[in-house]
Amino acid sequence: MACNPFIKKIRSHIFLSLVIISCTHHTNNNKEILFWCSNNKDEITLATNATKAWNILQTRSPVHMQPIPEGQSSEEVILAAVVGKTTPDIYANMWQGSVEMYARANVLIPLDTLKGFMDFMYERCDSNVIKEITSSDGHIYQVPWKANPIMTIYNKSLFAENNIADVPKTYSAYSKAAQIFKNNNKNSEPIKHFGYTAVKVIWYERLFNFYTLYLAASNGAPLVINNKAAFNNKYAIEVFRFLQSLYSNEYFSRENSAASSDPFVTQTIATEWTGPWEISYLNRIPNRHFDFDYSVPPVPDDHVGPVYTYADPKNMVIFNTCKQPQAAWEFIKTMIDKNGDMQLLQISGQLPRRKNLDTDPFYKSFFEKNPMLLPFAKQIPFVKGIDNCESIVEVLDIISQEYEASVVYGKKTPEKAIEDAEKAVNVLLAANK
Amino acid sequence: MYAALTVAALSFIYPFIWMIGASLSPEHEIGNMTLFPKHPTLGNFQSMFEKIPIARALFNSLFVAIFSTLLVMLTGSMVGYALAKMKFKGRQLIFFVIVFTMSLPFQVTLIPNYITMVNLRWVDTFLALIVPFSVSAFAILMFRQAFQGLPQALIDAARLDGCNELQIVFKILWPNIKPTLVTIAILTFIGCWNEVLWPLIVIRDEKLMTMPQLVTLFSVGGRADSQLGVKIAAAVLLALPVMIAFLFLQKHFIQSMASTGMKD
Amino acid sequence: MNIALEHKNKKPPRFQKRKWLPYLLVSPYIIFVVVFVLFPVIFSFILTFHKWNIIAPMKFIGVDNYIRLFHDRLFWISILNTLKFLLLHIPLQLAVALFLAVLLNQKIKAVSFFRASFFMPVIVSGVVVTILWQQLLGYDSGIINRFVTAVGLSKVGWLVNPDVAIYSIAVMATWKNVGLYVILFLVGLQTVPTQYYEAAKMEGATRWQQFYHITLPMINPTIFMVVILSTIGGFSLFIEPYIMTGGGPLNKTLSAVLYIYKQAFQYYNMGYSATLGFFYALMIMLVVVVQKRVIEKEV
Repeated sequence: MACNPFIKKIRSHIFLSLVIISCTHHTNNNKEILFWCSNNKDEITLATNATKAWNILQTRSPVHMQPIPEGQSSEEVILAAVVGKTTPDIYANMWQGSVEMYARANVLIPLDTLKGFMDFMYERCDSNVIKEITSSDGHIYQVPWKANPIMTIYNKSLFAENNIADVPKTYSAYSKAAQIFKNNNKNSEPIKHFGYTAVKVIWYERLFNFYTLYLAASNGAPLVINNKAAFNNKYAIEVFRFLQSLYSNEYFSRENSAASSDPFVTQTIATEWTGPWEISYLNRIPNRHFDFDYSVPPVPDDHVGPVYTYADPKNMVIFNTCKQPQAAWEFIKTMIDKNGDMQLLQISGQLPRRKNLDTDPFYKSFFEKNPMLLPFAKQIPFVKGIDNCESIVEVLDIISQEYEASVVYGKKTPEKAIEDAEKAVNVLLAANK
Repeated sequence: MYAALTVAALSFIYPFIWMIGASLSPEHEIGNMTLFPKHPTLGNFQSMFEKIPIARALFNSLFVAIFSTLLVMLTGSMVGYALAKMKFKGRQLIFFVIVFTMSLPFQVTLIPNYITMVNLRWVDTFLALIVPFSVSAFAILMFRQAFQGLPQALIDAARLDGCNELQIVFKILWPNIKPTLVTIAILTFIGCWNEVLWPLIVIRDEKLMTMPQLVTLFSVGGRADSQLGVKIAAAVLLALPVMIAFLFLQKHFIQSMASTGMKD
Repeated sequence: MNIALEHKNKKPPRFQKRKWLPYLLVSPYIIFVVVFVLFPVIFSFILTFHKWNIIAPMKFIGVDNYIRLFHDRLFWISILNTLKFLLLHIPLQLAVALFLAVLLNQKIKAVSFFRASFFMPVIVSGVVVTILWQQLLGYDSGIINRFVTAVGLSKVGWLVNPDVAIYSIAVMATWKNVGLYVILFLVGLQTVPTQYYEAAKMEGATRWQQFYHITLPMINPTIFMVVILSTIGGFSLFIEPYIMTGGGPLNKTLSAVLYIYKQAFQYYNMGYSATLGFFYALMIMLVVVVQKRVIEKEV
């Protein structure tokens, strides 16, 4: 089980001699709490404010804030930090699906052992959220912070131009609207498509198309139960069939749009599946000549019940390199109490994963001023994160492979694709046990 | 002949001119593929300069790249000389190892090398950016090839004059391989300049970041707000210093190239 | 026959005694190799017998990783893709580089301009080049497809057609690197003494004969180096598919290095990734050795 002694020996030998040569020393203020936040502008502002407010009141455990040096992926940076034992004390913005792996490797602090944590959680969150974030070992390693429900955004002006009166809420309505749109825009230059969703075979892209629609169709069913694939069901197959028809009828483009201008902004597409962050982004664009709005993702025609969607949850964790976990938690608390959540709404336009967000009088005036965010707040009870599975990334990647073959290129029937994915996932999970 | 050359040259240059044009265009004009924007604007650059400490990053990059290049020239010519002009046990082995190191996917060495950096406490220092790039297998091969092309008589004569081996390499041989020197210098400098993944992993302090790192962070990470214009502006900013440096060095390139070939 | 390769070794006896001298000269490289290559390689080799996700302790699993490798369909697909890439990339690179270098080596005007323009893509970062080429290769509004439709042909799915994508990337990679090889060939061509050509002309040799009988043999070391470098460069194909296609469509642009990278940094299968890396590095070595033999024999 333990680290191979041979490697340790080699390592210590080489390093001992090299460490002697090197003479740089790390000065680390032990009292300071190092806090990494996400590196987008709004969240830097948010974190700066929170840190300043804390440091005025608390001189014993000052917090030092730094945006995460994240490039292509923050994973590499966090990994590197874990390997080098140079992790920050607090990291805000960890994707919920990554937490289980770090928890199993014992690099995170079980937060439920901290004073006042559980009480605070029960007050802020629904019981199903607490259930969702509880690790397989019964501890809680993450603070549910943000949720950005993924919805259908649509270009109101384009819909009106094409006489599409209602936002399509079912598969058949969606296809019908897409057909009308296609007929009307046959000779457009550049070519217009009804919608777009990422085609790249990278696991996280499936969260915003397959997984979102799967949750919507199945009222929030899991992908994995008891270390076995649980998605070979009619919902997943229907999602594949629906998305496949969007490509085979050329309603959607197969192209990777990552390096071109945002097609929604240039009005070459009329809909896509995205989160509330788009609102402030679109409102910042000068000379925008169209209106937009959101609606829930489309569901099968025979769907009953509320429409669930993917939460895109980003959570906070405390690494076990932290010398003052209790103080770190006290600081986190200031970012997620009523006031902290208000700051998140006001500064970043993202939503806290807090219960009764839409009805709480404390936030009423905010949503009156920002009516577009209200549907997202109402959606918060009907969002799901992701299953606590150590290999969830690989699971999503397997689904991605089948997704590309079946949905995008129509090389497989939905049934066959889902079945193949199930088999591959079961092999993987059995091996990783 | 000129026609063929011109077509080739155009196919190499056109995309860059387009890129510069696009970086000066407002967002909705970028899709037009025209070379000159109708409503030129510096907005893309402005929003970038507001957000990141680019001048400091420029200095860091220059410092790191120049230092590494000097070291590569030094070590490369010493090793290349030994391989080209000396017979010793293990010479073939070293040559083999060099080819092997060049063919090693960087993923194999990435994590262990990072662990080394951590254990040396070099994370967040320039040492982590310079030392691992101070020796280049490519430079050694280039020097080896260049030295092989020089007559042995040159070395023998120098030895009779009482030069030691280092003097031979730097005083006698270097002046004879100017084009190779310039080529290696340019390529090494550019290689260091464009390196992104390694700095991303070993440098986390914004004050020590290199320019490509900062620009990549900016354009691929969250801070560009997924606007193509700003992304392209960042790409232009990343490309421009190297392009300017190259155009400047191009003169030396030609001079030194013209002066060779006549010697033997 | 080649001045570059052989020389008679008649040193004064004084220098033959100092046997340690060459070792002193290569010592920087040796230290470097031990710290930054040998240690990582040994470390990785040990890793190949382990399961390790970087953050949890390692677990010894014998040769399971090697067994998995031979049954891993995706790995062999990625090798096949890489070979397909090389099949177009190397000949194209050689031909274009040699062609442009020969043209530049004539007594023509504006040499520096042409050379600079060919070299431009070499010096800019791969990130920049991929951003550019995505604009060129787009299906609906890409620049190339606009030319194609203007001529009256139907659009080509440069990056979305599974049978075409890897070759599009090969062309792009050639575009990016060919300038470097033009320069290397130019340096090689200029070592060919002009008297040879003059003599050949007097004997009435055509241009093609001159090229085939004088130029080619004389620049053989350069050809060798170009082939080796572009083979190695081609085998490490990574950033282009990583940014442009992520390995798709249908895994047809999944290069071996991209797959190794995915295993390491997306799935955290460090042990398995190391196994793939090792196996792959040995494969490249083998190819390079074979190439070396073949090219040396031909001369």
